[in-house]
Amino acid sequence: MRPRLPPAFVAGAREGFRTFLPLSVGLIPWALVTGMTMVSVGFTPLQAMGMNVIVFAGTAQLGTLPLIASGAPLWLIVVTALALNLRFVIFSAAIAQGFRGVGRAGRWFAGHLLTDGVFAACAARMLASEDRHWRLGYYLGPSLWSWLLWQACTLTGVLAAGAIPRDWSLEFMATIALIVLLAPMARVRPMLLAALVGGLAAVLLRGLPLKLGLIAGIVAGIAAGFAAEHRLTAGAAQGERR
Amino acid sequence: MSDELFLWLTFILIGLATTLPRASFIVLGSRVALPAALQRALRYAPAAALAAIVFPDILIVAGEVQPLNPRLAAAGAALAAALLARNPWLPFLAGMGVLLGLRHLLGA
Repeated sequence: MRPRLPPAFVAGAREGFRTFLPLSVGLIPWALVTGMTMVSVGFTPLQAMGMNVIVFAGTAQLGTLPLIASGAPLWLIVVTALALNLRFVIFSAAIAQGFRGVGRAGRWFAGHLLTDGVFAACAARMLASEDRHWRLGYYLGPSLWSWLLWQACTLTGVLAAGAIPRDWSLEFMATIALIVLLAPMARVRPMLLAALVGGLAAVLLRGLPLKLGLIAGIVAGIAAGFAAEHRLTAGAAQGERR
Repeated sequence: MSDELFLWLTFILIGLATTLPRASFIVLGSRVALPAALQRALRYAPAAALAAIVFPDILIVAGEVQPLNPRLAAAGAALAAALLARNPWLPFLAGMGVLLGLRHLLGA
């Protein structure tokens, strides 16, 4: 027997889906590239789709694939994934109020499905609604669509990759994908500094044992961005006083 | 431990390192709040981490910093396409085109 969904949930899901549908097209190249890259580092289709279902995060997958391929230690892979996912802590804190009245299992499920796209497109209207069924529908509708589209297009990429010769260096697509993610961030000055310091520190410190240079780079980048933001806001405050 | 088992363990740990941050405050609700300074600092983590992965990949060839290499040129083309065009496919076409084109020209 199928439990009947509250009408407000269905209305919310429909509305959320309509809001997110045009944006979701942007997922398609990502998913295809992620699928092809997983095959290019040597995963079988089963391993690739296994990672895709377990992790369900393009950035964390693309970011850790080069490390997995080069045989990096497990703790480094996990710490890198955590660093790439820290933004979700902030998104999660920002959207948490939208789940008041939802049980613990529902919250875990909703949390697992949280993506940049749905957060960016749907958080504001979700938080503004007073109806908890509508809110949950408005979040889960686009989130489940996003999950389905991601899995289907990644599978397409996995299956298509086998048809492409190895010497085409498809694994470089992962690097391009990370650059595409980085590009809009670098438009903001402190963020650009965080990226430059993080990247150059990782290059200069690459000789450190256990690939600690990567962690050192991330920490240096965060510190540089934070310091630059402080200087900018302090400078602005001083400018106002004058 | 077999390679196969190790790989699946890796997937599960990356999965945890993804779902726990995502679910963190959604599950905890408003009982816990992150200090504002820490929240601001954490915003820089993705940019720093992405660059720390990308830079060595495009600047280092065979263990040495190599400022002129096909991967760096390809990265430049992809970055330009990402900044200047809205088409989501273009960075991939530009980057892979430059990489494969230069390799072909250099005969490598």
